[in-house]
Amino acid sequence: MPLSVSLSIEGDTTVIELTGELDAKTAPDFHRTIEKAAGHGTHTVEIRMAGVGYMASAGLRSLVFAQQKVANDVTIKVVGAIEPVSRTIRTAGLDRSIVLSDE
Amino acid sequence: MTTVTDMVERARTSRVLDVPATVAALGSIASFVLRLAGAAGLDKGATYRLRLAVDELATNVVMHGYRGGDGRITVRGRSGPDGVQIVIEDSAPPFDPVEGRLPPAPGVPPQDRRIGGLGIHLALTSVDEFGYAHRDGRNISTLTVKAEGTDRCPPRP
Repeated sequence: MPLSVSLSIEGDTTVIELTGELDAKTAPDFHRTIEKAAGHGTHTVEIRMAGVGYMASAGLRSLVFAQQKVANDVTIKVVGAIEPVSRTIRTAGLDRSIVLSDE
Repeated sequence: MTTVTDMVERARTSRVLDVPATVAALGSIASFVLRLAGAAGLDKGATYRLRLAVDELATNVVMHGYRGGDGRITVRGRSGPDGVQIVIEDSAPPFDPVEGRLPPAPGVPPQDRRIGGLGIHLALTSVDEFGYAHRDGRNISTLTVKAEGTDRCPPRP
């Protein structure tokens, strides 16, 4: 099940847009994009997930990796995640350090 | 007496998938589970929970069970008006998911947690019933998601 990943910079925000399914097979693509995003040095990394219909714990691992890669003062936002995806993020307790936002 | 109708009914509701334990095969397992969920008429939430649970347990078998070596995963499924029951079997070393789960630890920063054990925690909190047995050298996990089940959204860590 494919995942498309795009990376862009909008002002002081690095935007990663994901569409498709995030699981053990596709998460490595997300992982590589996070590595590039962390190198941009912007103050916010915004991960747009409205197009993600499914996320397994492999996706959580990528989000944890993102937290480890960016500087302490960088905000990581997950935007537009559908309810079961944000539930998975909350279950892992990642909503304490990642900003979950509807838009 | 077994009637043709019974046979058709069984064929419709009981299915088996046997695949190599590889990351590439996880998509086939997901498709298999989604077909069973559709046959049982599970709603979107229950379908998602079932898929997540099977995916996490199968991923764990692939990544840790066979430790990268050759192996197979057999997935049996039954769907009916009450819901879906899935049995996952593998011949990797014995592993009881209930003992291997890792609930999120409140005192540990997320980046320091073992996400692998958390995947099993996600799986076990997504299903309505879970059972594990080790028989004849095989791990056998049985998961049930009920059509009228509840999402036991786990408490915040």
